[in-house]
Amino acid sequence: MTPLVLLLTLSTLLFTLGLLAVLTRRNAILILVGIELMLNAANVNFIAFWRYGPPDPDLTGPMFVLFSIAIAAAEAAVGLAIILMVFRHTRSTDLNRLDSLHG
Amino acid sequence: MIPLLILTPLILLAALGAVWKARPVHAALLLALALALIAVLYLTIGADFIGLVQFMVYVGAVAVLIVFSLLITRPGDEAEELARRPRSVVTGLACTLPVLWVLVYVVSRLCNLPAGTLENPAFSVAQVGQVLFTSYAPAVLTVGVLLTAVMIGAAMFAREPSKKPPFPSDS
Repeated sequence: MTPLVLLLTLSTLLFTLGLLAVLTRRNAILILVGIELMLNAANVNFIAFWRYGPPDPDLTGPMFVLFSIAIAAAEAAVGLAIILMVFRHTRSTDLNRLDSLHG
Repeated sequence: MIPLLILTPLILLAALGAVWKARPVHAALLLALALALIAVLYLTIGADFIGLVQFMVYVGAVAVLIVFSLLITRPGDEAEELARRPRSVVTGLACTLPVLWVLVYVVSRLCNLPAGTLENPAFSVAQVGQVLFTSYAPAVLTVGVLLTAVMIGAAMFAREPSKKPPFPSDS
């Protein structure tokens, strides 16, 4: 098994675990945990293809990861702010209880 | 290759704990561990700067933010979570396994490639600065605007709603 395939396997399993967390958790903050895992899986992919890929003087892979980390931080900040606002209204972060738009 | 073989199972175990632990604070702390181990992974394969950024932003900011949100919202005990777990896990796996199958298929196609002789060398921080402010300057400026907007937006969302009416002259 080459290092590239090892890293891609890691990233595949990380993404799957993140997706599983998003689909099974009911606490909004823990769903955000799953989203962070999926974003990290994508970042591992970028770094793996940069490291074990053709010569790249522009550092495309690492730069993409840098921007992805900045956007993930922004997403976490806004996501948690929204969750806190919902919590202030409903006193709960359980997504099953947020059904006021339910027909 | 040896550090990778040690790190990969550790990362996966920490991530599995973050997904599986019923107590929310444990899950958040295991996520922090997984993110820190991914930072170590970046350091070992030559992306030093990215590893340090990952450590500062993810472990230092995002994970701590998640832990503090859990402390503020104080989610209920894990009995309810454990009670509905069998059903939610079956549904979750039913949706996740097809995705896993597709991803494993794609990765298995890559196994046939000749063993990697290609390897980019580790890069210096000076190189990062060089490309960041020449080739990627528009993206850097855009991210700056995005982060400013996010800061203002998060502050607006999180602030306590004021008791005073917005237009005092109307009342």
